[in-house]
Amino acid sequence: MAMADPVPSQGPDKLRALGIVALNGMFDEMDAEGVLRQAAEDILPADLALVSSFGADSAVLLHIVSRVDPSLPVYFLETGKHFAETLEYVEQLKAELGLTNVIAVVPDPADLARFDPTGELWETDPDSCCHIRKTEPLEKVLSGYGGWVTGRKRFQTAERGVLPHFELTSDNRIKVNPLAYYTHDDIEAYKHRYGLPDHPLYHQGYKSIGCAPCTSAVAEGEDPRAGRWRGLDKRECGIHFDFNGQIAPTRKQAGKTKEMRLFKNGGFMADPWTDWVEALDPAEASYTHVPLDVFVAHREAFIASPHPLGLRVDPGHRVEDVEADMARFSSVAISFPAFGDGRGFSSARLVRERFGFQGEVRAVGDILADQVPFLRRCGIDAFVVANPATRQALENDAFAEVSLYYQPVGTRAEVPVGTRPFLRRALADA
Amino acid sequence: MYRYDEFDAAFVSERVAQFSDQVRRRISGELTEDQFRPLRLMNGLYLQLHAYMLRVAVPYGTLSSRQMRMLAHIARKYDRGYGHFTTRQNIQFNWPKLRDVPEILADLASVEMHAIQTSGNCIRNVTTDQFAGAAADEIIDPRPIAEIIRQWSSLHPEFTFLPRKFKIAITGSPNDRAAVKFHDIGLMAQTNGAGQVGWAVYVGGGLGRTPMIGKQINGFVPHEHLLAYLESILRVYNRYGRRDNKYKARIKILVHEEGLETIKAQVEEEFSHVRGGILTLPQTELDRIDAYFSPPAFIDSGVVSIDVEREKILDPAFGRFLVNNTFSHARQGYTSVTVSLKPIGGAPGDATAEQMDAVADIAERFSFDELRVSHEQNLVLPHVALSELRAVYQALAEAGLAEANAGEITDTITCPGLDFCALANARSIPIAQDISRRFADPERQREIGKLKIKISGCINACGHHHVGHIGILGVEKKGTELYQITVGGDGTEDAAVGKILGPGFVADEVPDAIERLVDAYIAQRESAEEPFIAAYRRLGDAPFKEALYGNG
Ligand code: HEM
Ligand code: SF4
Ligand code: SF4
Repeated sequence: MAMADPVPSQGPDKLRALGIVALNGMFDEMDAEGVLRQAAEDILPADLALVSSFGADSAVLLHIVSRVDPSLPVYFLETGKHFAETLEYVEQLKAELGLTNVIAVVPDPADLARFDPTGELWETDPDSCCHIRKTEPLEKVLSGYGGWVTGRKRFQTAERGVLPHFELTSDNRIKVNPLAYYTHDDIEAYKHRYGLPDHPLYHQGYKSIGCAPCTSAVAEGEDPRAGRWRGLDKRECGIHFDFNGQIAPTRKQAGKTKEMRLFKNGGFMADPWTDWVEALDPAEASYTHVPLDVFVAHREAFIASPHPLGLRVDPGHRVEDVEADMARFSSVAISFPAFGDGRGFSSARLVRERFGFQGEVRAVGDILADQVPFLRRCGIDAFVVANPATRQALENDAFAEVSLYYQPVGTRAEVPVGTRPFLRRALADA
Repeated sequence: MYRYDEFDAAFVSERVAQFSDQVRRRISGELTEDQFRPLRLMNGLYLQLHAYMLRVAVPYGTLSSRQMRMLAHIARKYDRGYGHFTTRQNIQFNWPKLRDVPEILADLASVEMHAIQTSGNCIRNVTTDQFAGAAADEIIDPRPIAEIIRQWSSLHPEFTFLPRKFKIAITGSPNDRAAVKFHDIGLMAQTNGAGQVGWAVYVGGGLGRTPMIGKQINGFVPHEHLLAYLESILRVYNRYGRRDNKYKARIKILVHEEGLETIKAQVEEEFSHVRGGILTLPQTELDRIDAYFSPPAFIDSGVVSIDVEREKILDPAFGRFLVNNTFSHARQGYTSVTVSLKPIGGAPGDATAEQMDAVADIAERFSFDELRVSHEQNLVLPHVALSELRAVYQALAEAGLAEANAGEITDTITCPGLDFCALANARSIPIAQDISRRFADPERQREIGKLKIKISGCINACGHHHVGHIGILGVEKKGTELYQITVGGDGTEDAAVGKILGPGFVADEVPDAIERLVDAYIAQRESAEEPFIAAYRRLGDAPFKEALYGNG
């Protein structure tokens, strides 16, 4: 789905924005090394840096750096919370790849003393912990460059499905994503071809590696990044999540939503999103589900805002009015003010099936336990409910559910037996 | 006849398990009545005047003997020995105990029946012509498509919390016996220029407080796109139907307020997205379902006609039965027999457990094991060989089911009314019984000819009074039950809503008032061949108004 407006009304000037579109047009087909070479030599000579987590997948990009320019500045966020294995791995890669310019970035000791004296902030407030250990230090470093390189790939999460090679941030800098089009298999093949060493923890089930306290192993078939911040709804930090590519400030009210109200991925968790409050300034809204009518009324401002936004769809809202803007939202909240009002079921299906929205679609409000299976079939994958019986049913996964269904819905890959007879038959005969 | 496969069976038994759990939670107090309400309604369980009432779907009105026997068993074991057939091709049990309901549902499931979606704001049991698959005038047997619609609509994840209930009726014959124009969606078989059979779609019909005749929204939808088209209508309704006022929430109001053209444009827009998608119905699936409904193994007995005139002389009662209670069959040598549930002075639509068993036996012996429930609250033996007609009549007579009044004035449609229904303003069964006794004489009934009286105990119009040639509606005025009489309604393809001609009558006056209408008709009809409704159309209100209220 195209973003409606590649040229935000504020921020980068039009020429640069158009330049990015042109760059992506020219280098869409180019391989990773070509993209990086182009960036390092032509577009941002001596003005480009790379940030690496030295995690599970970092070796590939670093290897490409070593072929293009081993002296390219490579920053490593030394959060102070890494696995010992990660630190060893930094040294190993430096030596094997001949990287000459790896620089550790450490958090400001004053910040640590003030906000995280015991080193346990990650436990209570990971957003703030990331902020002082990653975002702030990184911001300081990167502000000196016209652009930087990331190792992000389209396949990594749903939110990244449209990642291009070049992105323009709202403060006019360029993010370069040489591996944007790499699949998991491409990465593996590349590692294999060049005999690159794996992160020591990779074979212990850690498929995506960040700080030690916030990383857990993932099960076979799980999203590789499911192991990051497991149990919390934190999936992306501002640096990746942000629509315009700006490093987003950590949410100011992070502490307020610690109540575990969001049910998602099989458990209750703290909700990173806050509810819309009347008359909130569009430029201020961040991690908020903006009511559809408010969004439509202030569309320009919301599109231009650098903050992560969600969409709230109330009964009576016409979701088709924002179809073209769906890429702007990281989450959609369908509200159910009264359980008997079934309009949200249609809205959910339109958002999922017709608009192909891949992000979170949550149902919020008065929801009976018995509606949960229906809602799931309509594309809902998260719930914010007050009703104690429903919460209990969610918690225990105790739904007197009819797991068979006659009528197909458009998107979910439903179990073969769970479809209309003619679809079942076709499968049974096959 | 449709038979469950493993999938259907598993589906229904899961549903029974689900509802059993909900009942348990209600009994234990875990669910409040408010929370339980929508759940029980979706499983056909109403809270009525005296007790819970369980409504069991008879999909498109088709039953096997085995199923009928199970209904008898339930009536006997969990109820007071009878059941009540309704205008929606359902059967209602008036006295089940809540704790028994899961067991009843399990019993039903064992014969491939259920109570799913017989109430609540969801897509209800699809109804059709009681002579479907047998009638001589049929373009296509509508039941395979009805079955496919039943499947599509069962626990539809998107359409289970609609603004209001949603009823679909379907007829395969140009002579509409399913009142399709008085349903939220009506489907009428249609042949297009290329000779293909498809469906004319009517939308926004309904009775109740604001009776409306359905309007044609599409002249021809082929089988393969029908589900996509229905889904489009339902989605438009789910999103835009009014939810602020329960009395304005049916799709008929949406169509009326927005205008057919607006709704049509919205439906077409929606259809343009879903058409050709996952709901496209492959011919192979249609064929597969069709096969379940293939005609039974008819036998040529050599008897291809019956000399009715002769029979009338030999045995007038049987003669009358032949005239009224048989219907032309597509197959030579066969006929469809209506089993009237309107004995003189009885409660219309009631059948005792013994009668249900008897009809089941007769169907097994003489009608290829098949039975139908009609929206006129009668039963039908769809395929009876002419050579066995006499034997069938005999057997029905023994069971007290040979009332030969089908289509005549005593064959009323009557809702449960104040005797059972929590919503009623007035009694309706006793009114029907009074009228039935008043016109009991067969000769008098023959003289009057085809005349449909329909009675509802309140404006919800479960008794279809709006479409009665004579309609009777119970209202409450200053604490007394009054009955408003309408004239000129018609539920067929010539759909019309009856007109109120003046003030209501108290119960005692109703039979006299009806008699005066009938006399006025007989006095002014062109001939005995001109039925009441035709005479009304020719003559207009005046003579009937005068008959009711004098010319003061
Ligand atoms: C404040 C928040 C965050 C900051 C500042 C941050 C910063 C970084 C940096 C600098 C890199 C190195 C880039 C590279 O290897 O090319 C990186 C990589 C990565 N980040 Fe983040 N990150 C944040 C949050 C997250 C979150 C929430 C996730 C996922 C749930 C995530 C997943 C990844 C992955 C998968 C990689 C690259 C692959 C790997 O090394 O395994 N990051 N991040
Ligand atoms: S990943 Fe965990 S430990 Fe590392 S900075 Fe973020 S919250 Fe703190
Ligand atoms: S018409 Fe009224 S009284 Fe009769 S059954 Fe329906 S709701 Fe009850």
